[in-house]
Amino acid sequence: MSPTTIGYLVFAGLLVLIAMRTPIGVAMFVAGAAGYLQLTDWNVTVLLASLKNLAYARLSNYDLVVIPLFLMMGQFATKGGLSRGLFNCVGAFVGHRRGGIAFAAIGACAGFGAICGSSVATAATMGQVALPELRRHGYKGGLATGALAAGGTLGILIPPSVPLVIYAILTQESIGKLFVAAVIPGLIAVAGYLIVVRVIVALDPSAAPAGPLTAWPERIKSLIGVLPVLLVFVVVIVGIYAGWANATEASTIGAGACGISAIAKRELGLKGFIDSLLGTAQATAMIMLILLGADMMNMALAVSQLPTQLASSVVASGLPPLLVMFGILLIYIFLGCVMDSLAMILLTIPIFYPVVMGLDFFGLSQVDKSVWFGILALTVVEVGLIHPPVGLNVYIINRLAKDVPIGETFKGVIPFLVSDFCRMLLLVLFPVVSLFLVRHFN
Amino acid sequence: MDIQDSNPPEFEGFGRWLYRVSALLALIGSVVLVGIVLVSLVSLVGRKLWATPITGDVEIVQALSAPALACFFAYCHLARGDVRVDIVADALGPHWSARLEAFGSLLLGLVGALIAWRTAVGAVSLREVGESSALLAWPIWVSQALVVPGFALQAIAGLYMAVHALRPAPTSGGTA
Repeated sequence: MSPTTIGYLVFAGLLVLIAMRTPIGVAMFVAGAAGYLQLTDWNVTVLLASLKNLAYARLSNYDLVVIPLFLMMGQFATKGGLSRGLFNCVGAFVGHRRGGIAFAAIGACAGFGAICGSSVATAATMGQVALPELRRHGYKGGLATGALAAGGTLGILIPPSVPLVIYAILTQESIGKLFVAAVIPGLIAVAGYLIVVRVIVALDPSAAPAGPLTAWPERIKSLIGVLPVLLVFVVVIVGIYAGWANATEASTIGAGACGISAIAKRELGLKGFIDSLLGTAQATAMIMLILLGADMMNMALAVSQLPTQLASSVVASGLPPLLVMFGILLIYIFLGCVMDSLAMILLTIPIFYPVVMGLDFFGLSQVDKSVWFGILALTVVEVGLIHPPVGLNVYIINRLAKDVPIGETFKGVIPFLVSDFCRMLLLVLFPVVSLFLVRHFN
Repeated sequence: MDIQDSNPPEFEGFGRWLYRVSALLALIGSVVLVGIVLVSLVSLVGRKLWATPITGDVEIVQALSAPALACFFAYCHLARGDVRVDIVADALGPHWSARLEAFGSLLLGLVGALIAWRTAVGAVSLREVGESSALLAWPIWVSQALVVPGFALQAIAGLYMAVHALRPAPTSGGTA
């Protein structure tokens, strides 16, 4: 059996294990270990020797600490009442317009995304705050749940973003550069979702009634309440990029600031603090287990040479690069039907990254291409969070909205998906959208 | 101390005890994480304002982060926080679904045991070599050895959940 064949078999085995409900990290580890054994002619000693350092090397990686710290920052922000503050603030400014409460929900998701690196957390948090308000004001079920499920994806689209950190670690790319590159695409995503709400309201005014008007003093007061969010975002993103803090230090600033602000506002008691810590622990372990599995899997794939073989055969095939790119994006969308976004990034980047780097896109330099592909991958795995049949965000929001059938939520998400696909096309065809800020700052 | 949790699972006896130990370990790990935040912040502020960072702050973060992160695995599994794909299992019905869940937990337990064993062996050989960190001269093997209990507990948690999944669901009448 050729090494490449074994490489493909590793993937087949992995998919079978995943379908059998094995935790994805464990499935990757087992499939990878089996492939590695086969590739080394069942020389168990080699595998055992390489395992001596695998877990420690991964867990003591300095860059990787940003993941638990960004998760902790999100937990403190959630328990510290920041999500409600954000929603009230945007609502105070636009709530009196038709569709205004939905605008507020999306705007608050964007604000929360600026301090939270996870989509699922953003959807769950903002759903708890905004969903009752949307329903109370008579918003139709599908619009309310659809807007929140889509808005939740802003958690990763707007930096900081856990999938981008993982992409950076896998490809040796700079975390700060990727975060900066994600800012404009993230803002375009917000604009796209707002436009969708506006169009829905224009077509069916009864779907989204106007809320009450808020007076200016109230508005200013609510704005002051969310200033810390803006400050944390600026410190984290600008701090990393301007080079006066590395990503790990910036994430400690974020976690520290959110924790202190929550305690100072007396929103976070001992119980909330412990809950935040346990929430951080659980979310971190979930990701680290997948990372450990991916390490094992990538060890096997590297020996099988499948990634390099695949890359060179794609380059040799002479297919138009853009066609290859659309093919890759299509594969992501299909994978998104069954898989979690982090697992997708971890599984596919070692394979697709060499392919993309070997092709010529619009004459981009290697450095630019690597950042651009990171943003594209982020955008496309994000779509997997809201499209049927799995769409994790959709299920999370739907669990909160007991009176809205899941079918209606999926229907409500479709217009937002359309906006996602338009944005993806824009980002593929115009790399400058992702690269503008990065070049500008340089 | 009683560990508060928003949704404690339905374990009894050994399971409940195991869950508490895991939650306590996770809590210890996350307090260490808070410690990392403080060290890094103090060092950053010190460097910017008085040009006096904490010596070896990066080494401290690295030495603490691995043991801290390893503390989380058992708790995550017992709280059913793992990422799994449920579509196929759900389609097969509760009987097979429980068996698949047991299989997944068993694998998770075995992987945890394997990593705990190999990491311990690695720590022993690091100790023999006497490798230490560059600035603080902290022995690396201590940090690596502290990773072992987390994975050992993951092994126990995985094996426990495998058995737990196969147990018939308690009926409402319930026998003792």
